[in-house]
Amino acid sequence: MAILNKKQKVSDEIPSASMADIAFLLLIFFLVTTVFPKDRGLPIVLPDAQDDVEVSQRNILHIDIMPNGTVQLRRGDSQNTSTVSPRDIEGIWRIEVAQNPNLIAAVKTHPEAQHRYMIQVLDGLQMAGAERIALQMLEG
Amino acid sequence: MAISGGGFQRKSKASDQIPSSSLADIAFLLLIFFMVTTVFRKETERNIEWPDAAATQQIDEKRQNIMYIWVEQSGQVFINDRPVDMTDVSSLVAPAWAESNRRLRISLRADARVPYRFIDAVQQEIKDAGAIYVVFATDLERQMQRVRR
Repeated sequence: MAILNKKQKVSDEIPSASMADIAFLLLIFFLVTTVFPKDRGLPIVLPDAQDDVEVSQRNILHIDIMPNGTVQLRRGDSQNTSTVSPRDIEGIWRIEVAQNPNLIAAVKTHPEAQHRYMIQVLDGLQMAGAERIALQMLEG
Repeated sequence: MAISGGGFQRKSKASDQIPSSSLADIAFLLLIFFMVTTVFRKETERNIEWPDAAATQQIDEKRQNIMYIWVEQSGQVFINDRPVDMTDVSSLVAPAWAESNRRLRISLRADARVPYRFIDAVQQEIKDAGAIYVVFATDLERQMQRVRR
């Protein structure tokens, strides 16, 4: 008799007190897995396909990148070339552009030179604040 | 009979506890915000060696306006996880350029060891497609992504 009269103590409702815990668990999962896209690199603007601009040779600094990663520098109006390391480009550009603010960097890379050497030179130029950069492939 | 104590003994009905019943609502609101803003990576990363650059800077453009062109060490080009012939690159870039309203940025993710002739060929293709904004993806970008995971 006494056993039958005992009331059932288990609630028939879903406990809502733990709802916040579940929500926060999901929240933390999404917080951790979210990757906001961050893309980085060296930006450059390619010239339009049509326009060919005539530039005086005096305003060009030829930067030829060799397959072994060395760089040959030649001012547009002279025949003298000097061989330097990509690391020196930044300092050289700062000096050159101080003498001629209209200077354009013509970066010509040998077809077999590794991409990283071109990036090193581009990096140096951009570190020195160069804005007028032309990228070409070295011919001949 | 007057009210004893002139009403001073009336109890304040404002609770001194922060209501916890709305906690779940706040949590779900935040949850829905993060679910909506989460972008899962669409492309798998190709196994390339990234070039280093100190001047690396952030691409200031929406993700939907960034197109990735991968160039592996062999010179093989990949776009959207598929191998692409060099001559077909411009036909894939051109529609994206038109769709982006001339804002498309090409993130050129080339292996540091790839010979430059492939990079030059890709640049020619991009130029032929009319797109002009190219970003040479460099190693600083990759380190930042790693830190964020």
